[in-house]
Amino acid sequence: MAKKQLFSLSVNGEEVDVASPSDATLLETLREDLRVLSPKRGCNQGVCGACTVLVDGVPVRSCLTLTALCEGHDIGTVDGMGEDPILATLQKHMVEKGGVQCGFCTGGMLMSARNLLAETPRPSRDTVKSALSGNICRCTGYRTIVDAVCGAAEELAQ
Amino acid sequence: MTLDTSLLAGTAVGKSVPKTDSAEKVLGRAEYIADMYLPGMLHGAILASPHAHAKIKGYDLTEALAAPGVVAIVTGDDVGEGRMGAFIKDEHAIAKGKVLYVGEPVAAVAARTEAEARRACQLIRVDYEELPAVLSPEAGLEDDAPILHEKLADYIKVFDAGSTGNLCSRTELVEGDVEAAWAECDVIVEGEFTTQPQAHVSIEPCGALATVDPAGRVTLWSANQSVFRVQANVCESLGLPMSQLRSLTPRVGAGFGNKMEPHIQPITVALAMKAKRPVKLILSREEDFEMVRARHPFRVKMKTGAKADGTIVARDCEVLVDCGAFADDSPGVMGYALLMCGGPYRIPNMRAAGQLVYTNKLRFGAFRGFGNPQVLFAGEQQIDELAEKLGMDPFEIRRKNLVASGDTWFVGPQVASCGMDRCLDAVEEAATKPRADGTPRNLGLSITAHISGLLGTGAIVRMLEDGTISLNTGATDIGQGSDTVLAQICAEELKLPFEQVAVASPDTDGSPYNWGTTASRVTYTTGRAVKGAARKVVDQAMAHAAEMLECPVEELELREGGRIGRVGSNSDVTFAQISGRAHWAIGGPIVGSDTLVFDQPTHDPKRAVALGLPFPRIGVFSFAATAVDVDIDQVSGQVSVHEAWTAADVGRAINPQLCEVQLYGGFVQGLGFAVVEEMVWDGARLANPSLMDYKVPTSRDVPDALHAIIVEDPDPTGPFGAKGVGEIGLNPVPGAVANAVAAATGFRHRHLPLTGERVLNGMIRAGTA
Amino acid sequence: MTQILQPETLDEALAVLAAEDEAMPMSGGATLVAMKNARLVEPTHLVSLDRIAGLRGIATLPDGRIRIGAMTRHFETASSALLTGSLSVLRQAAGKIANRVVRNMGTMGGSVANADPAADYLPALACCDAVLTIARAGGERELSILDYVEDWYETALEEGEVITAFTLPAPEESPSAYRKIARVTGDFATASCAMALTADGQGIRVAIGACGPGPLRDPEAEQALIGKLDDPDAVTALAERLVAMADPIDDVRGTADYRLALIPRLVRQGLDDLKKDLR
Repeated sequence: MAKKQLFSLSVNGEEVDVASPSDATLLETLREDLRVLSPKRGCNQGVCGACTVLVDGVPVRSCLTLTALCEGHDIGTVDGMGEDPILATLQKHMVEKGGVQCGFCTGGMLMSARNLLAETPRPSRDTVKSALSGNICRCTGYRTIVDAVCGAAEELAQ
Repeated sequence: MTLDTSLLAGTAVGKSVPKTDSAEKVLGRAEYIADMYLPGMLHGAILASPHAHAKIKGYDLTEALAAPGVVAIVTGDDVGEGRMGAFIKDEHAIAKGKVLYVGEPVAAVAARTEAEARRACQLIRVDYEELPAVLSPEAGLEDDAPILHEKLADYIKVFDAGSTGNLCSRTELVEGDVEAAWAECDVIVEGEFTTQPQAHVSIEPCGALATVDPAGRVTLWSANQSVFRVQANVCESLGLPMSQLRSLTPRVGAGFGNKMEPHIQPITVALAMKAKRPVKLILSREEDFEMVRARHPFRVKMKTGAKADGTIVARDCEVLVDCGAFADDSPGVMGYALLMCGGPYRIPNMRAAGQLVYTNKLRFGAFRGFGNPQVLFAGEQQIDELAEKLGMDPFEIRRKNLVASGDTWFVGPQVASCGMDRCLDAVEEAATKPRADGTPRNLGLSITAHISGLLGTGAIVRMLEDGTISLNTGATDIGQGSDTVLAQICAEELKLPFEQVAVASPDTDGSPYNWGTTASRVTYTTGRAVKGAARKVVDQAMAHAAEMLECPVEELELREGGRIGRVGSNSDVTFAQISGRAHWAIGGPIVGSDTLVFDQPTHDPKRAVALGLPFPRIGVFSFAATAVDVDIDQVSGQVSVHEAWTAADVGRAINPQLCEVQLYGGFVQGLGFAVVEEMVWDGARLANPSLMDYKVPTSRDVPDALHAIIVEDPDPTGPFGAKGVGEIGLNPVPGAVANAVAAATGFRHRHLPLTGERVLNGMIRAGTA
Repeated sequence: MTQILQPETLDEALAVLAAEDEAMPMSGGATLVAMKNARLVEPTHLVSLDRIAGLRGIATLPDGRIRIGAMTRHFETASSALLTGSLSVLRQAAGKIANRVVRNMGTMGGSVANADPAADYLPALACCDAVLTIARAGGERELSILDYVEDWYETALEEGEVITAFTLPAPEESPSAYRKIARVTGDFATASCAMALTADGQGIRVAIGACGPGPLRDPEAEQALIGKLDDPDAVTALAERLVAMADPIDDVRGTADYRLALIPRLVRQGLDDLKKDLR
């Protein structure tokens, strides 16, 4: 078995010690060693966006982030952020507006959208499309996802 | 997260209820194949062939077996002579004796971790004797071409394929007298069109997980579009009795055809059997590109003739199709393309012929549209070319020739419902309005038909003790929402609130047979079975109610909310009361089941000659019209869509929002095919098997003004009139974009994709650059 | 297995890089980890520059020049209020890299060190007359961006060296623009053009990307164009000089011929757009 190293991480508000290969990516550590499974491996090259997580609130590719560099930072994943009001509003609108199809891109998409709405309260459709352009969806044609993000922004701004 | 439950109230059909799996998906809790873990589970990895065509002379596994963590290795020596395939059984579970394309699985390792399995693969030594490769269908048909399948004649085939040499199959369909008809034509257009291979790029790569119980029975989960096709393919290729394999599905991260026939399920099962431990194998994105399947490149020679008034008289269409190394769904794709190559028009004289040729490339197979987008790219451009020559409007020439309800389709299928005219009208009304900013539109139009149907399906509707419902169909929901739509159909027939119907996950041990989530078929075929099964439940409940209320069945009515009462009276009994009685007192549990195979013949021998037709029965017809308004970048030639409209006749929209999303998603996947996506081979090797190099549209590359218009022309056999919607939105896009580019630049493109480079070169040639 | 090191000083980092043959410096990781995932690189050590103070951020120097730390993320560059006028071309280029999430991760130093000919910074930095600060164990040197790329993926950066900063001339009020031709949003460039009007509005600086191993710029031809921006023949002459310098390849993003055809079109369009900005 490859040599493992003990890392101290903060995942969704919980401090965890996890043994992971010393050069593991955050995606590998989350999935294989912590069984945090909402970040998905769609390409392992940082292109598809399905592995997107938040590090200190900023969306990054967990497949391009080394676990070793995450100690001391807060890691957020879509399955562990139930209390986040921005995310909850986005989730509601994604369901109601038909922004979910196969769901494989959805977690990463929501991480990008959550960051956008945290930074920009009332984004234009163009701004939304720009913020989501690093999350590939092959099912929806993006139309209903953009609708959902705009709908959530509208509700949050009220 | 709270859901607006008002969306769920009332009867179900025609309401945009949220998908039943959406909540778990937005919460990140949906379980896909890669998310499954079993105790003692190993991880698999695959060694791919570096050669396009070579004999395998032997393996040296010594070093790999000694590598850390390795438990088992499978090669062609571990699998028997069994071969699988939907139309022609030509494919082993893993390369055996020969490799036929770069990327073909040659060996597989099960180890404690994926990293260890991948490292061990690199330590496997394979002794190859390279053979000359066939890299195009044209080369494959040459007299002295190297032969891929020496035993082709001996393979089991499910239709008259006419296979010989590297010719996998040939199909020819003839109606009327094409040669004589040219003389009646005032204008004739003729051209050769080519289309490129397109990758599916489901965001979830293919994967499987297998475990073998102590008695030797296999349980297999995989990313799939049919648990039943998985079961059949694994058992055929590994020589297992089908009763020895149970096939299941977790959530599936989309398919588009890629996951319909097998990918790595047979290899995963072979590894688990050899390792005697559970094995999970998940492909990398690069492997998903190189190993699985892609959309067929077509060469289409087409000739179409019309009278001066625009009446189309004849069409001749010849296609040459690259099959890749294995037949897979290719004979079906070619046969279907030929059946559809006339488009949704009345053309009295038609000839459609095709050759499908094995090459040393990745297999080409099913991909949303199933050959239709390729022939439509040619056909819809020729309709515009005829219109130009005749000085007619593109809408007018199409309207003049439209197929209509009651017509017979090319070679024989009946068109029982047809909203084609209304689709065309809807798109014309919307698209011919000027742009808001006053700049001129560059419009392109394309119209299409697509079938929904094919093969066997079933449903079991069971009333639980409390009167709620369990629905079991065996249809894999790949994310498009079929579980939701089928539950809506079931709820509507039972007059129950939608949320009282639970849909069982497909399981070959417990679900009725379902051929698969493909051919735009689940709503139509499985929906029919669900409605039929639910009706049988109602009938049984009525019989109980008649006894309970002591009146004749004829005086009873089914009421909203799961009650049966006497007409004109307030008294009634609930499903819970009826079901309780059935379970514990009289008659037995209330279970309704129904099965069907679409039963209308494709070919009418009195009308037409058909040779090598792979579908004896096919399905009902959906229709769509798409208009696009494009902008051309004057520096780069790149095409972007300013606005687009698709109107689709879906019979009856069981869930309008899900229909719309199919049209949006189909449009964007079609747009990728039309302007940017292309798998490029550098010799025998795929040059761009990654998302860095193979690009699909992002949210910024799609029009914001993307419109879906639902037209409903109910089909008499469809559940509540419904027909399919899965593929129809993609079909017309390349043709519509090509017609728009011709309008904008004065240059007509016959080769896909319409990249900036091609369009700029066209502009330079047309003097419009 | 690769050892991950996170030194807190530049000297420490440089010492490791000097001592270990197969150690690689790592900035944002956006490219390097992707390459490691694909097994294209398997270094013994990855030396993360992330914890080293002073490598990140954009600042105005006392003499008005702008200094950008090598570890500055693309999104910081893309939103910098200091990159105005003639330097706005660099801000625009940063904003066209990949997508927002990757821009949160990737750094200017990492991108330039990787020297992908189709990446966005090289032509933009060339247009800005940027100077690189390069450190090695025991010293540092400065290098003009125009002398940096030596061949395909080969640069003047030597083993054990890291880029620490980019220095740009003080911004002028003249407009500048970055135009990128790419297959889809966020792809690497098929061809790109960075252009700035000189302060007096009489001349331009122009650099072409993705049409050779490094950015194409011809200062002599730019000189010859001074005062002739409204003369189409003179503009064409400059474009032709850039075409002559170009050495493009055929790849999945486009053919060499397409790239050669794009250069004059980009130059003409770029100039038209800048002149419009001026008005």
